Amino acid sequence: MGVTKEQVESSLTSNLKPLHLEVTDISGGCGASFSVEIVSEQFEGKRLLERHRLVNAALQEEMKQIHALSIKIAMTPEQWKQQQESAETKSEA
Amino acid sequence: MATRTVGLSSSPLRSLTSSSSHPPPTRITPTLSFASRLKPALALPLLSATPRRSARPRSPRVSAALKNLSETVPVSVPADSGELVRRFPSASGVYAVHDGEGGLQFVGISRNIAASIAGHRRSVPELCCSVKVGVVDEPDRAALTQAWKSWMEEHMTATGKVPPGNESGNTTWIRQPPKKKPDLRLTPGRHMQLTVPLEELIDQLVKENKVVAFIKGSRSAPMCGFSQRVIGILESEGVDYESVDVLDEEYNCGLRETLKKYTNWPTFPQVFVDGELVGGCDILSSMFEKGELSSLFKK
Repeated sequence: MGVTKEQVESSLTSNLKPLHLEVTDISGGCGASFSVEIVSEQFEGKRLLERHRLVNAALQEEMKQIHALSIKIAMTPEQWKQQQESAETKSEA
Repeated sequence: MATRTVGLSSSPLRSLTSSSSHPPPTRITPTLSFASRLKPALALPLLSATPRRSARPRSPRVSAALKNLSETVPVSVPADSGELVRRFPSASGVYAVHDGEGGLQFVGISRNIAASIAGHRRSVPELCCSVKVGVVDEPDRAALTQAWKSWMEEHMTATGKVPPGNESGNTTWIRQPPKKKPDLRLTPGRHMQLTVPLEELIDQLVKENKVVAFIKGSRSAPMCGFSQRVIGILESEGVDYESVDVLDEEYNCGLRETLKKYTNWPTFPQVFVDGELVGGCDILSSMFEKGELSSLFKK
């Protein structure tokens, strides 16, 4: 039972071609809950809700066994770049 | 001091007040300092001298820094909440709400004065015309209570009356607890035959109410951390929302499965605005942090 972090990653990678992807198992190892940070061009021009839907759709099979999926970040490459830059200027200051 | 007078403004009083404003200077501080216009020579030296009297107990310091109620200049309350938050400090302190005739309605203590005033403005706009604000530095409970007492006593000495909002039993100014509003039920009970499909009931409900939250548990006692967070966000935005408990098998039987299909969204909570799904906990949290929610609820 349960889903591995690798399974989640490979499904997201093949479906959404992310520029940045970070999957964290937050269930403590049983594979029931994950948090995801994902940056993909496919999010361009889509509302947050639609972006989350894309992620959920990509994980359709896995979702049957996942209890909780927390999508922390679902950004376009452009937004991601901006955030990285602002984070950098913050840490420099 | 002399160079400051030249550099800052033409009025010596102004330079005095701005140099004595407390760090961090909130927007309200200059206005408050002007309140001491009546007897600046007395009030201002007191202000700058007090921090050095460290051996003294705290309460005299508070009463020295805090202006009397009568000396404090009322600030009018704007209808626009964005402007309101800019006009009032989000610091701790006392505030005195006045109605259109300038009558004192209520004296309150707050950890976030601007937010409290915004809340009153929403619930009783007709009574919130202007507010006097006194920011309390080092706002522990004793200092805040002391500040509140001094304003209350001043008003009662002057008028012989308790402000109507502070009379016991008056709940106009008290934030109503969330549990006051019941959760909505979609059906009259699971043994009753539905005349309309559940989808249609959901559709009606989300279109008839501006904001609807489908949560696990009741709004007063959410049974899931994500639902709780969503309720917390809605409460702190001061939104008037309806809630539906998707775990209620008696009155919302079958709702979970039907709603998931209706929205094509796999999890709860689900928050609707104007009949449209906004999202669940992650989306609401993220929009809340970016400050995107207030405009969504305002429309």
